[in-house]
Formats: sequence, structure tokens, C-alpha cells
Amino acid sequence: MQNNEFSSDHLDVLKELMNIAMGNATANIADLLQAFGTMHIPHLQISDVDGLKNYIKMTISSEDEYYVTKQLFGGKIGGEFIFLVNKESAINLGNYLYDTVKVSDADIMDAVIELTNILSSTTIGRLTDELNTKVQFFAPYTEVVSGDPLISEEETLNYHKIIIISTVLEFQKHKISGQIFILSRDEMIISLRELIDQKLEELYS
Amino acid sequence: MKILVVDDSKLARLTLIKTLKEHEPSADIIEAENGDIAVELYKAKSPCVVFLDLTMPVMDGYEALKLIMEINPRAQVVVVSADIQMQAQALVLALGAKLMVPKPINSDKMLAVLQQLVF
Repeated sequence: MQNNEFSSDHLDVLKELMNIAMGNATANIADLLQAFGTMHIPHLQISDVDGLKNYIKMTISSEDEYYVTKQLFGGKIGGEFIFLVNKESAINLGNYLYDTVKVSDADIMDAVIELTNILSSTTIGRLTDELNTKVQFFAPYTEVVSGDPLISEEETLNYHKIIIISTVLEFQKHKISGQIFILSRDEMIISLRELIDQKLEELYS
Repeated sequence: MKILVVDDSKLARLTLIKTLKEHEPSADIIEAENGDIAVELYKAKSPCVVFLDLTMPVMDGYEALKLIMEINPRAQVVVVSADIQMQAQALVLALGAKLMVPKPINSDKMLAVLQQLVF
């Protein structure tokens, strides 16, 4: 065993299930935006809080302004779905969905939340389907973050051992791209490992 | 019958091979974990069917499909992908793929695929 009790087989299974889940999510967003989206290979990493902070530092520019939408989910597996778009992408998204060239701040927020809702429900929903379990979603909220950490010091108290799943969603036609982070809590790692073991047992039987 | 299965995920290859063996137990399976290896194996082994993922490191499925079709314009390539967008499907069919099947593949989907291939 390696990577905090997750073997390479567990990681491979999780990566493939995320690939399927992200494929579904990309297709749903493509319908919404009437454009072709580029799928990127999901990045998976098991980390502690410092590792998470370093990963965020490496992947997100501290100089840009971002619309960050967070949505908690709970059940046999639980964690946080985070969707991050920079200001330019968020404005382009708002302009497109509201069919205007000067969208209001409230409408940008609304557009970003709507997109996050579709993304999180499709991604997590598909993942839980594949693992024969289900989760409950909590209401998402959006904030504009400028040069601040994505995860506050207070929030890091909730995390010790974290599975970071991240990917980029890109719709070049509308100049919209965003980053998805799915953070799991300590207990999710154990549940997830059990569910993946069940999946592997079914496969090898 | 030689069949090339291309996917960076071991799970995806395992699932596909398991369903394939249910219908074609005598199939001789060759595996590749990216498009680059797949193209080399295609040149060397001339499989009669290729099951090809799209989102892969090193060389993705689109590029591998293009190169395989250049090697053999009559190649039977079945794209098996999580990318279920209509435009992705249109693109791979335009590049010469015989079929595109959404992941995860199961026994029924595999049977439907095999019925449309020429052996």
C-alpha cells in the first residue's frame, strides 16, 4: 500500500471514474454553452493541508481575481466541490448565458452558480452512481477572491488527509475556462477505498 | 483475431477486455496505455480492431486515430470515451472511426459494437 492507504490500483480506478464523470459534466456544459469543450486528464493527489496549499499556489495565479463557488456534499463519501473561474471567463459566461454584452455582477454570480450546480451534480452524481452509493448536496455559494488563498485557514481545520482531484474545463469558443477541485475529508478516504474495493471485486469476480 | 485495447487506465482496459472476452473468448488481446504505443503496436501487429480511448497522456486518441487511419485507411477503430459531446463524436467519425461508444462499456454495448464490425 502507498499514498496514505490508497494503492496505485485505487488511484487508477478513481482517476478513471473521474474521467467518466468529467466527460458527462463536460457534455452537459457543452449543451448549455452550445460549444465544444476540451476535456483534460484529471489530476489526482493525496495530500495533507500543506500539500493542498502548495498545489493551489502552483495552479492558481495569486494576481488574478476569481469567482470561487463552493458546494459541500455528504453521505458515504463527503467533501467539497470547488469551481474556480477567473473574472474574464466569468464575465464571458454571464454575457453568453444572458445574451448581453454588459452583464451585471449579480447575473455573473448567478451564471457561475448555475454552471457549478450542473458541474457538481453531474460529476459527483456520476461518481456515486459508478460506486453504487449516493450523496446529498448542500447549497453552493460564490465569492470573489482576489489574491487570497482559495481555502481559508479556518477551512483547513476540516482537512487533514485530503484527496485532491482537479481538472481544467475549457470552452475556447466563448473564452471560458475554469478549474475544478474536489476535496475529500479524512473519513471519505476510508469509505472511498471500501467502495473502490467493492468495484474491483465485482470486476475480478 | 487480434484486438488492440488502448487506454491509460488499467481499470478501463480491464473492463473492456472482460466484456470483450464474454463475446469473443478466443480473441488475442494486445494492450497499450497511450496513443503513441498504440500506433507502434498497430504498425507491428496489424490488429483487426482497435478500441481507443480519447483522453490520454503522451498522445491522445484523436492523434492516434489520425495516424492509424493513415497507416490503414480501412482500419476498424472503435472509440470508447467518457467525452460524450456530439462534436467529439462527429470529429472521431470524420477522422475515420467506425463507431464511438460512451464509457463505461458493458456487455450489451460490446455486443452491439461487435455486431457492427467485420471479422
